[in-house]
Amino acid sequence: MNTPLARTLVVALIAIGLGGPSGATPHTPSDDQTVVATLPGTTAARRQARQLARQVHALGTSPAALPAALQLARAAIDRFRRDGDPREIGVARAALAPWWSQAAPPPAVRLLRASILQTQHDFGPALTDLDALIATPQAPLPLQAQAELIRLALLQAQGRLEDARQGCERLGSARYATLGDSVRLPAAVCAAELASLMGDENRGARELAALATRLTPQSDPGTAAWLALVRGELAERRGDPAALGLFEQALQLAPEAYTRAALADWLLDRQRHAEVLRLSDTALEDLPDSLLLRRAIALKRLGDPRAAAAADLLGQRLDATRERGDTTHRREQARYLLELRGQPQAALPLALANWAVQKEPADARLLLDCANAAGQPQAAQDVLRHLRVYHQRDARLTAALPPGAPPTLIR
Amino acid sequence: MTHRLVSWLLALAALSMGTAALAHKPSDAYLTLEVQDTQVEQRLDIHLRDLDRELVLDHDDDGRLQWAEVRTRWEELQRYTAERVRLSVAGQPCSAVATGEPQLDEHTDGAYAVLRSRWTCPAGAQALAIDYRLFADTDASHRGLLRLRHGTGTPQTAVLVPGSAPPASVSLVATAGEAPSGFGGFVAEGIHHILIGTDHVLFLLALLLPAVLVTGAASRRDAAPQWRPMLTEVLKIVTAFTVAHSVTLALAVLDIVDPPSRWVESLIAVSVVFTAVDNLRPMLAPQHRWRLTLVFGLVHGFGFAGALKDLGLGGGSLAASLLGFNLGVELGQLSLVALFLPLAWWARGTRFYQRGVLLGGSSAVALLALAWVVERAFDVPLPGA
Repeated sequence: MNTPLARTLVVALIAIGLGGPSGATPHTPSDDQTVVATLPGTTAARRQARQLARQVHALGTSPAALPAALQLARAAIDRFRRDGDPREIGVARAALAPWWSQAAPPPAVRLLRASILQTQHDFGPALTDLDALIATPQAPLPLQAQAELIRLALLQAQGRLEDARQGCERLGSARYATLGDSVRLPAAVCAAELASLMGDENRGARELAALATRLTPQSDPGTAAWLALVRGELAERRGDPAALGLFEQALQLAPEAYTRAALADWLLDRQRHAEVLRLSDTALEDLPDSLLLRRAIALKRLGDPRAAAAADLLGQRLDATRERGDTTHRREQARYLLELRGQPQAALPLALANWAVQKEPADARLLLDCANAAGQPQAAQDVLRHLRVYHQRDARLTAALPPGAPPTLIR
Repeated sequence: MTHRLVSWLLALAALSMGTAALAHKPSDAYLTLEVQDTQVEQRLDIHLRDLDRELVLDHDDDGRLQWAEVRTRWEELQRYTAERVRLSVAGQPCSAVATGEPQLDEHTDGAYAVLRSRWTCPAGAQALAIDYRLFADTDASHRGLLRLRHGTGTPQTAVLVPGSAPPASVSLVATAGEAPSGFGGFVAEGIHHILIGTDHVLFLLALLLPAVLVTGAASRRDAAPQWRPMLTEVLKIVTAFTVAHSVTLALAVLDIVDPPSRWVESLIAVSVVFTAVDNLRPMLAPQHRWRLTLVFGLVHGFGFAGALKDLGLGGGSLAASLLGFNLGVELGQLSLVALFLPLAWWARGTRFYQRGVLLGGSSAVALLALAWVVERAFDVPLPGA
């Protein structure tokens, strides 16, 4: 047998051997001590969650079940914020099942329902619930204030900044004055942030910094973390390196998946890939998609051999999500195609569809990047219009904007 | 995670503010059903985290689920799922027995318990009703991803919403009708498959292109002077291809060897590239080409098997389907040779054949097949494909 033939044979046999059965196969761990899964949260938190669930289950659909059901749903949403595991949203929704389909459920249920709908990008029904809650005279004032705040976040996500500004004004009005600082502070934060998103970054930054001196993390870690995050995002838009410290502060006060992703993006923009890896140093299976995406990008840019596995896993997850008919993943999907697969043509329609639903600075950037990479900068026209309407500036967009863009858009 | 989460007011218990999009996968379970007459083999993969939430598998509550903690509760897991996934036909419940060892499988978001059972259903089923209520009252976003195979037909898929009424129903009639019927049907499918299978056709043509030429002085190729040695060589090549692919076709269809289709398809493309390149820059002596054909023919056989399996083996006997399909492939192949050879023999002396067809054609084939290799091996969609 001559050499090329022998070589061919070897290649053929190796290739067949390598493939093995496609995908994983069921197996039985040989050692009883093998850790086959890790459960999120502390032992105490898991115990409490179980106890609540038992309680809710025992009470069934009776009205007496309401307080426990609310508590269960809130705890699940909390875990979702921390770990980014969407099954918690399903748990929250199931806890509210007896009231879920009611036209006008109890105000506390309605508020949670709006929150859950929002996480599923059902913005219309969520807004309906929130508006109705705010308009219900019998609803407790704190619930209404919370509804205002959720409504603001939702409008902001949709890019309806002027509507958000008006809502923010209402939150700071005499209507909620009796609630004291617990409302005055968030109202001041949203006013300053919206100012910064509507052309007045200096005022926004100044006011947020002043608020930070008034707010001690000890008294209210939640609001302090939020404030640090808002300041960090503003610093990032301004190209101010203080963003790093602010993101880290926010993360320290409230270890949330969103903040971790924001920090990872800041690091990726500065080619600090190794730090992204440290930030996402968990078993890949346990990473939320947002962090898996950033980790895969960092690995790819480092030329790390583990990059392919991370990208493939993310791809499979996105496929699985799509199989369920879920469209809330377009932002991740577009970025996955753009940055990990080098397919800007495929990414662009997704970035456009995402932009139709949400118009935050990150969405603007994604669409601009996809449009430019696909060689169709005109596809991002609406981003330019949006930025122009709100006099919005963003240091990250400077490179992505077309040469003809009005100077107000470019720092 | 899409949106920033905003803090809540002090006066309230914690509430999510953000429109955070889904981050990990939401909870899915994978339900695979294999229907054979009145028997249904079920495999249900459930995430350990979901099972722990319901049944508290983490006995020592340390947040680390050890295999012993899962294994020792296996019967309970089987009971739990048996109560929540039920099959019936025409209102008549099927009955289940748990089967299989305690096993795990890895999906994209961690380890899943693999629970198997065997159902026996009343005969004559037109449709299978699947009453799926896993986590119906504890996780409203849980879904069951169903994959059902009936016989060896193309699998049907569906997304099962827990507790939906009426239960999901899957027809068992449609897929059965698609399988070719009878020996003749399989012969026709075999012919059809080789004639529409561009990769098999190009492989064969690339092999046969130089057969009507001989290598003369200074590696120049000239028209073959005699038809007898030419025919012998063609016969050797065709026989090698037939023998090789028949062997692997049978091995794969009988489930003795089952290589992953991605590799098979990629290697088929590689075989075309290799053969075409060999036409351009001969690496093998012509008299050894049949050996190359033998090796690559093995790979093509797995490809034929994939096609035959996709068709479904129908109700008839396995041997008859296999034989019929293979016969069809040979007939298709012979007609191709019968069509090509006289033409090539006739044109062999021309510059058009020696340059245009052999070199130009082989280059084009090599490029096209190279694109297939990339597409198939690396799962890269080709532009316009």
